[in-house]
Amino acid sequence: MTTVKQQEMLDRKAQLRLGGGEKAIDRQHSQGKYTARERLERLFDPDTFVETGLFVKHRCVNFGMEKKEAAGDGVVTGYGLINGRMAYASAQDFTVIGGSLGEMHAQKIAAAQEAAMKVGCPMISINDSGGARIQEGVDALAGYGRIFYNNTMASGVIPQISVIMGPCAGGAVYSPAITDFIFMVQGTGEMFITGPQVIKAVTGEEVTAEALGGAMAHNRISGCAHFACADEDSCLQEIRALLTFLPQNNNETAPQYACTDDLNREDEMLDTIVPENPNKAYDMYDIIHSIADNGEFFEYQRYFAPNIITGYIRLNGRSIGVIASQPKAMAGVLDINSSDKASRFIRTCDAFNIPLLTLEDVPGFLPGTAQEHGGIIRHGAKMLFAYSEASVPKVTLITRKAYGGAYIGMCSKHLGADFVYAWPDTEIAVMGAEGAANIIFSRAIKNAEDPAAERKARIKEYQDTMMNPYIAASRGYVDDVIMPHESRKYLISAFESLQGKRVSKPLKKHGNIPL
Amino acid sequence: MIKKFRIVVDGKTHEVEVEELGTVTGNIEAPMERVPAPVYDQGQAPTRFVKSGAGPAPAPAPAPVVQAAPAPVAAAPAAPAKAAAPAGAGDVTAPLQGTILAVNVAAGDAVKSGQTLVVIEAMKMENEIVAPSDGTVASVSVSKGQTVAAGDLLVSLR
Repeated sequence: MTTVKQQEMLDRKAQLRLGGGEKAIDRQHSQGKYTARERLERLFDPDTFVETGLFVKHRCVNFGMEKKEAAGDGVVTGYGLINGRMAYASAQDFTVIGGSLGEMHAQKIAAAQEAAMKVGCPMISINDSGGARIQEGVDALAGYGRIFYNNTMASGVIPQISVIMGPCAGGAVYSPAITDFIFMVQGTGEMFITGPQVIKAVTGEEVTAEALGGAMAHNRISGCAHFACADEDSCLQEIRALLTFLPQNNNETAPQYACTDDLNREDEMLDTIVPENPNKAYDMYDIIHSIADNGEFFEYQRYFAPNIITGYIRLNGRSIGVIASQPKAMAGVLDINSSDKASRFIRTCDAFNIPLLTLEDVPGFLPGTAQEHGGIIRHGAKMLFAYSEASVPKVTLITRKAYGGAYIGMCSKHLGADFVYAWPDTEIAVMGAEGAANIIFSRAIKNAEDPAAERKARIKEYQDTMMNPYIAASRGYVDDVIMPHESRKYLISAFESLQGKRVSKPLKKHGNIPL
Repeated sequence: MIKKFRIVVDGKTHEVEVEELGTVTGNIEAPMERVPAPVYDQGQAPTRFVKSGAGPAPAPAPAPVVQAAPAPVAAAPAAPAKAAAPAGAGDVTAPLQGTILAVNVAAGDAVKSGQTLVVIEAMKMENEIVAPSDGTVASVSVSKGQTVAAGDLLVSLR
């Protein structure tokens, strides 16, 4: 038996849950987009999402807004379970006045952020909004500011995931930008500070929204986004998968899953993967898949700076962050973009207690004026800083080249690696043999009867003396030289031994990473 | 001990008294950083291949599965990638400065996605530049021995 007042409540809720109404919902669907509530239903485990703030209303009385009803003020917020673990989320509702952000809309998002921080669980923000609600003026801007501030306070405390499933333009982009992970859906998600019309008016350039700030623009070119998904369903599944690699907060470790793969599994393929000719490339993805539990690799920023590969694997069921040179792309060099990509990933892992595995085959830093003037010094420095600062277990496997500053930078013993392993093909040196011989033996080569033959002999001499892992191993900078097929068990053993790792650091407010 | 301060705001003078209760002494310990003990979860790891929203996936086969490496360029879904490409849709450009070691295709050749078009020697490495998609070579802009800068046009596909 329902009383009149109870029935009124039920009717009110049903009305509010319709958002912008049937027509607006149909329009949303016709663009290949789900509504805010449909997205949350798919993101969370079935029947676990609990909405908060359904009755929140805007307080704007300017420009006729006082007559305008906005269900939930254009955003759905609440909590629920993802793979059985608590998470908070907000989803902007484009069907309600374009998902525009006003004072109360922002307050709902901020409340969800604050609740997620209070209980220590991930916060997922789904963006699909026309931008600031202009009628609300500075109240809307204040709302954005509060969200950005909360993003910053939550950074390094709880995992923050932003999902771009519609427009996210102007100042609104800075909330995703501060968070740890940005997912974008191709064809509908777009991010930019100034849109195509403003760009045309100011600079005369003509560009479509997709080319300017679509998923691939930010995943491939700008590096602002980390994941590009073909549609909303796959995007929401990817988010669920990502969360299995992450802890709930910075005081926990990521969940360990029962490992169904043989811990002592050996892979003979690895013994032949590195070509005898050191100038030839091979595919580092093959090594990552071979080492990982069940060959499973969850990649981060696949399309940006492909010369370095980043992502998550499991070893003995534990989440491990992988940073790997890719000889197949741009020779696997370190450059501005790959340094930025790796540094951000290293810090994301360190913040959330995820150990780091570095797979190294690096010929050095990329030469050129574009790199030097683009600031490779400060960008490369981020990587050294991030590795040195990281207090999680750090294990490095050198598969072939480790030259110069890049050798130091790719988590060498000198930056605090707990274990460094090397394959027998490893060449650790200040530079390649040719360059080194030309400098060290320049006089001997010049004065020789046959300079060309002398040069060749000296290169060979340098190669035989220096280009191996044994000098570094004799100093203890390489812990062991191992057969490639043994890599998985050595790495698992190393990470297991590091479970109790403690690091004490000097007391400071925070370091000053060269941004 | 009481200390007095004078503050002038908008021409008005305020006197402020502050009582000093002593200074903080002694060492402030540097915090120990500790990675907390692992949380054991008996469940099976959900994989990214889960299709339903029904939580953990069924146990994967115990045998190691070495997956085909995703080709970073070719894996991009076609439509948005084309829109985002900085050069012309079918233009393949040099990712880094170097010397052309080999040109494996000629105008009119049909090429498959992932096929090597040009080899650039750079950083003492032979860098294979591959076709981002299936197509036909419209023109080849470089020849063996030539030096190229990053961003230079190598091959146009159509």
